Formats: sequence, structure tokens, C-alpha cells
Amino acid sequence: MFASKNGLKGDPRLEAISEAIRVVPHFPKPGIMFQDITTLLLDHKVFKYIVDIFVDRYKNMTISVVAGIEARGFMFGPSIALAIGAKFVPLRKPGKLPGKVIYQAYELEYGEDCLEMHIGAVQEGEKALVIDDVVATGGTLSAAIKLLERMGAEVVECACVVGLPELKGQSRLNGKPLYILVEPREIENCC
Amino acid sequence: MATTPNSLVLEISGVKIVPQSNYHSGNSVKVKLLPNTKSPIARRTPTIYGRTNTPRGLQQIKSSHMAAQNVDSTDDRISRISSSIRVIADFPKPGILFQDITTLLLDPKAFKDTIDLFVERYKEQNINVVAGIEARGFIFGAPIALAIGAKFVPLRKPKKLPGEVISEEYSLEYGTDIMEMHVGAVQAGERALVVDDLIATGGTLSAAIRLLERVGVDVVECACVIELPELKGRNLLGDKPLFVLVS
Repeated sequence: MFASKNGLKGDPRLEAISEAIRVVPHFPKPGIMFQDITTLLLDHKVFKYIVDIFVDRYKNMTISVVAGIEARGFMFGPSIALAIGAKFVPLRKPGKLPGKVIYQAYELEYGEDCLEMHIGAVQEGEKALVIDDVVATGGTLSAAIKLLERMGAEVVECACVVGLPELKGQSRLNGKPLYILVEPREIENCC
Repeated sequence: MATTPNSLVLEISGVKIVPQSNYHSGNSVKVKLLPNTKSPIARRTPTIYGRTNTPRGLQQIKSSHMAAQNVDSTDDRISRISSSIRVIADFPKPGILFQDITTLLLDPKAFKDTIDLFVERYKEQNINVVAGIEARGFIFGAPIALAIGAKFVPLRKPKKLPGEVISEEYSLEYGTDIMEMHVGAVQAGERALVVDDLIATGGTLSAAIRLLERVGVDVVECACVIELPELKGRNLLGDKPLFVLVS
């Protein structure tokens, strides 16, 4: 599941990525230590490490679809898609995509939300990657997997920069492998 | 470069061909082939480096290095980009013809060409910051930033950014909205590009310019895939130049 145990043990890029993440305490609500990846994007070298690691992993897997989850998945997914020659498919909150869509509801801590994908964006049999910045409970990623599978695509893997403890050691989501670059950054005296 | 052998100026509006391979169902659109045209790219003519193929003639461009050395390859790239964009009628409300770039993203060559066209223009211009406007500006802005060695800074709707932010209010057709940027994302004196998929009225882009200028950033240019020229968004950008691929 984690890159360090999956071929990249000791890779200095992973440490650089981890150190570039900013932890924002009590966002969006008290008790949550938010893993802010915008600071990663301010460091071009580190941003490139992230994309390079994902591209190296996926470029030979005949993946033709990279599905990015709105909105932070849009910051990483497109560059990966471009580098491996795949389509980029945005998975969006309701009402944003203008054409005909399919939608998949998923649970939040309180209540429900919904993810949409354009009909016709993926074809049956295509191999897909799902990208988001952070995975917590995996609810959003699970919804993404379902959307792609409903259109007949095969989800090869879900890829995230940061994986939170809520995953509790799961290395699969809906039976699909998860690939995560780093664990959450702890708030020692950082930031 | 007023005309090329493939230049197309069509009279019908709101109709275009969309490559059928891009989707199974959804909005299929009828297109009339006009005589004397080679291919039915409706509603838009390709814009090359700030010039428009309109009757009012060529507009002078500011950057002298935008010479027409690679015009032919640029033309091919731009026509493919233009024809990969899907127009959806009556979204988000009746009367609007929505320019859907998601079909462009489904064509890896067109998407790559889009990014390449921006990167070619900006890579030698010492741009330190690419600011992308949520959310479709992220899709184009982040790859551009990566390719030219710049920081990527997301400009977001309220309450999305977790850290301390500065905010800028801007007008919508009805009411106002707010755009935010993280404090410390940019430094005074840095050179920035603002990227979005499309410029309509220019309200969002001008808010982005104000946000960046408030912290002393030099906004070099605004870059969009698509311009809706009839909405005159350029006029809201003040002295900031606008670069678009398709107009």
C-alpha cells in the first residue's frame, strides 16, 4: 500500500514529499489535522517527484484513463495522464459536469455526498487509475471505483499522495489496490 | 496571419461536430456543411497567438517573439483542439452554450498540444508562479507549472483552503462571489501567469489579477483555452494581456 514498502524503500524523494506537506490543525473542524498539499505544489521539485513516481509506476500498465477526483485530484491527475498518454476524466460534485452523467452517492461522517462522471468518458474494457490527494475513509475513492466499473472500465489501482489512519491498515478498497506515497505528517513543531 | 488555406468563418452558431468516438450518448448535434469549407468547425475560428480572424482585422500582439515560424503545425494543433471541445446547449441555464473542455481531455493528443502551446509561449519568460482558478484552471495550470518549472497556486472558492487566506470579492451576473489564495503562496516581485479554461465576462480573471497584485506580484499574462469574445472579457483585464487558443 505505501510506496516505502512497495519498491521505494529509502527513496529520498518520499521524505522530501512528506516534509513539504503542511499540517493545519483543526481544519475543517476541531480535532482534525488537515494535510495541506498546496505547499507541495509551491515546491516545483517535490511536485515533480510526485508525478514522476506515479508515472514510473503506471506507464507500462496500458492504462488509458486517469480519473481525478474534484478538486485536488485535478492538481495531480492531469500531469500523470499527459505523461502516460491516457485520457483525463474529472469526477465531480453534482451539477458541475454539463453533459449527461451517471452519479454515485457515498457516505460522509454526517450525511451523504455524490460524485458524477460524464457518460461516454470511458469505454468498456479500458484500464483506469483513480487519483486523489488524500485518502481518509476511502468513501470518495469507493464511489469513484463504482462509477468507473459501472461503465465497464477496469480500475487497476487507486493512487493518493497521503493516506490517513482511518484506513486502519487496509491495503485494498472495494477489492482494488491502493498506492499511497506517504503517511500523514505529524505536527511536531512544523509549519 | 489573417487567413490560412484552412481558415473557416462560418455563419451558423451554436452547432458543431463533436467526434463520435468521445462519447456514446449525450448531446449529439447536427451540423450543416457550408459550401467552400473543408471541415465544419462551427462557431469559432482558431485564434493564433492573440490574433483573431475577424473582419476587424489583426490585433497587434505585444510579444515580439510570437513570430509565425511554426504556423502550420500550430494550425493543425489548434484545429484539433478546437474540434475536441463540445458545446452543450442550455447549460447551466437556457440560452447558454456551454464550452465543455472535458472532451478535449479525452483526446490525449489534443490535451498535450494544448499544454505544449502554453509551455512554448511561457517557458522562456521567467514565470515563477502559475495561478489556476478552481476547478478547471487546475487541470491546465498544474501541468503548465510543472513543465515550466513554476510554482502552482490554486485560487479557490471560499473555505476550501485550510490555511490563512486573502480574499477578493467579485461580481457575478446576480450577486457576488469570493476568491481566495493562501497567504505566503506568492512573494512580492514574482512573475505570474493566471490560467483558466475559459474567459467569459472576465470577472473571475480580473479578481485573480487583483488578488495577486495586492501582494505585489507581477501578473505577466492571463492564459485561457477558450475566449468568448462577444462578452468582451478582455476589457476587464486592464493592461494585462490575454492569450487564448480558441476564440
